[in-house]
Amino acid sequence: MGELFQQTILISILAGMVRIATPILFAAIGELVTQRAGIWNMGVEGTMLMGAFTAYFVATATGSIWLAVVMAMVAGALVGLIIAFMTVTMRVDHFITGLAVNLLIAGLTLYWFRMYIKGRAQPTFDGFENVPIPVLSSIPIVGEILFDQRLLTYVAFAAVPAVWYLLYRTRWGLELRCLGENPKALDIKGLSVAVRQYAAVLFGSVMTGLGGGFLMLGFSDRFLADITAGRGWLAIVALIAGNWMPKGVLAAVLVFALLESVATHVQVLGIDVPHQIFLALPYLASILLLMGLRRQSRQPQRLGIPYFR
Amino acid sequence: MTSIERDTGAPRPITRIRIEPRVNRKPIWTFSMYLAATLFGLVLSALLLWTSGADVIKAFSALLNGGFGSQKALVATLAKATPLILTGLATVVAFRAQVWSIGQEGQVYAGAMGAYTGYLMLAGLPPALYIAGIILCGMIGGAVLGALAAILKDRFDVNEIISTVMMNYLIVFLLSYLIGGGPWTEVSTSVVYQQTAPISEAAQLPALFGSSKLHLGFGFAIVAALVCYVVLDKTPLGYEIRAMGYNPVALAYRGTNIGRTIVLVMILSGAIAGLAGVSEIFGTAHRLRSDTLFNLGYTGIIIGMIGGLRPLGTVVAGVIFGGLSSGALYMKLLAQVPAALVPAMEGILMLTFLCAGVAARYKIVRVQTDG
Repeated sequence: MGELFQQTILISILAGMVRIATPILFAAIGELVTQRAGIWNMGVEGTMLMGAFTAYFVATATGSIWLAVVMAMVAGALVGLIIAFMTVTMRVDHFITGLAVNLLIAGLTLYWFRMYIKGRAQPTFDGFENVPIPVLSSIPIVGEILFDQRLLTYVAFAAVPAVWYLLYRTRWGLELRCLGENPKALDIKGLSVAVRQYAAVLFGSVMTGLGGGFLMLGFSDRFLADITAGRGWLAIVALIAGNWMPKGVLAAVLVFALLESVATHVQVLGIDVPHQIFLALPYLASILLLMGLRRQSRQPQRLGIPYFR
Repeated sequence: MTSIERDTGAPRPITRIRIEPRVNRKPIWTFSMYLAATLFGLVLSALLLWTSGADVIKAFSALLNGGFGSQKALVATLAKATPLILTGLATVVAFRAQVWSIGQEGQVYAGAMGAYTGYLMLAGLPPALYIAGIILCGMIGGAVLGALAAILKDRFDVNEIISTVMMNYLIVFLLSYLIGGGPWTEVSTSVVYQQTAPISEAAQLPALFGSSKLHLGFGFAIVAALVCYVVLDKTPLGYEIRAMGYNPVALAYRGTNIGRTIVLVMILSGAIAGLAGVSEIFGTAHRLRSDTLFNLGYTGIIIGMIGGLRPLGTVVAGVIFGGLSSGALYMKLLAQVPAALVPAMEGILMLTFLCAGVAARYKIVRVQTDG
């Protein structure tokens, strides 16, 4: 009985990890592309929040959660356009742009949310159900952890090798990585730096919007102010901790997700400490992770530096 | 003639658009750019109101009247502006050194918590000394958190934006534990309110001009602005801070210890933000709870930026946005528009001001190149 109970909890924690990793993974793997193109986008948190709010709004207004997912991606793209305009066209400092975008969206979503629910009970929606993969999901333990998840979770994990392929095995990927290391080389070849950087920012922002949308539709039935709660920042930390490599980013995201999953199981585990300690774990871990990193990182040489011809 | 020219196939000159730094910037140009940014920001805000189905004129006039319409409203505005000026100044000090700390939010909480610790430990001191001790503890609280981010940056190469964001979350969890079940929780009959017991009268910041809202904290904000102005513009440390913003490499060759300067900057910035927490808890709320402190630090970033990263500009921006926050309650009542319009407006204005800053610094020129 005791052993079976422990096994059930362990499976539940690991399955929770995979689910919790999904939104952060979408954002991190998308922003990996953005950052390899030399744009240090600090607006991930805001972009994700925009995706989450849009998903909530569309899901409750139309009742279609798939339309909500699509619109979350569109919202991400719009935020990406603002970020790309500021950083690539106007050449505003990348950090400042990100901060401004985060603050803008925190304010906007709060206003829209209050306006939307004014004078009525907050509408809710039915989120995603699990979609077990036939055969694979019946494998004991592993099947329950990996193959009985929401549909978009499979997509997020499949995006990791896909982005790896894009970055390292295609001409596009080569040009993209070159943007982060030596944009002048592309410019001299007559290839537009701006167009590629816009594309990279848009890709990252669409993925981040999708992550926000999943956060909304995969975990909850209603929106809350600041629902992203730092997950966008964790995605950025995952990039640095994962040394801007797809595999490393995935590993870092899984660490954060595991800690958060443990925190949600504290009550079941019956550990008698203030629950805030467990909630704080991912944030604490991110600082410790960054402290322990080697200094000779593989950070793109021109990351965050506006390109002037 | 023309046909011969075409036949040679020589490259035609192409007109391109280039962005170049503006030399000889005229103040009037800069001023008009920021004026345009303000107007554009207001138009966008009006659009936001209009698209969400609110009465634009009614909302804006309620906002203005509530913030600046009467003497009473002005006093309330200055009270609201107090913590915003302080967090704005904390931003100015850090950003002028190009230390992109957004830890003001957490430092406000740390300041409030430091001061509350002092309030508990120093009880029994003579009144003036007691209050001075509480204020000092608050400044230390904020400074410690700031110094931590600086040390992480200097010693461990941890990006200050990320470390400060993470600490902002950590400190809120700590406070949530302390006042939501931990040792500082108000002992009440049934429910836990996530707050401490009321602060005794001896420890409250004295009121200014016999007002019920305005308190000594506003005096601190003005003094802090003057101190920041003098330190940044008139002292060797200020020179180093500004030089670090322009060219840290040159500064290092001059023999300045960059790491030490970053720590000093963050201690100063953290202490000022901590003061905002003290002022809000001991001057306005009179008990420690987290919702009164929420978003003061992030708003301060916008105010510092819109104030042009200058202490006096920050005071002006702080008073204007204090007025909006104060008028927001009035607007909520009269025009049924959520008070959250104000943070949205702040975000919009910050973005238009950033663009105006670029427009003031650069110009678009047409150049002719060969092909």
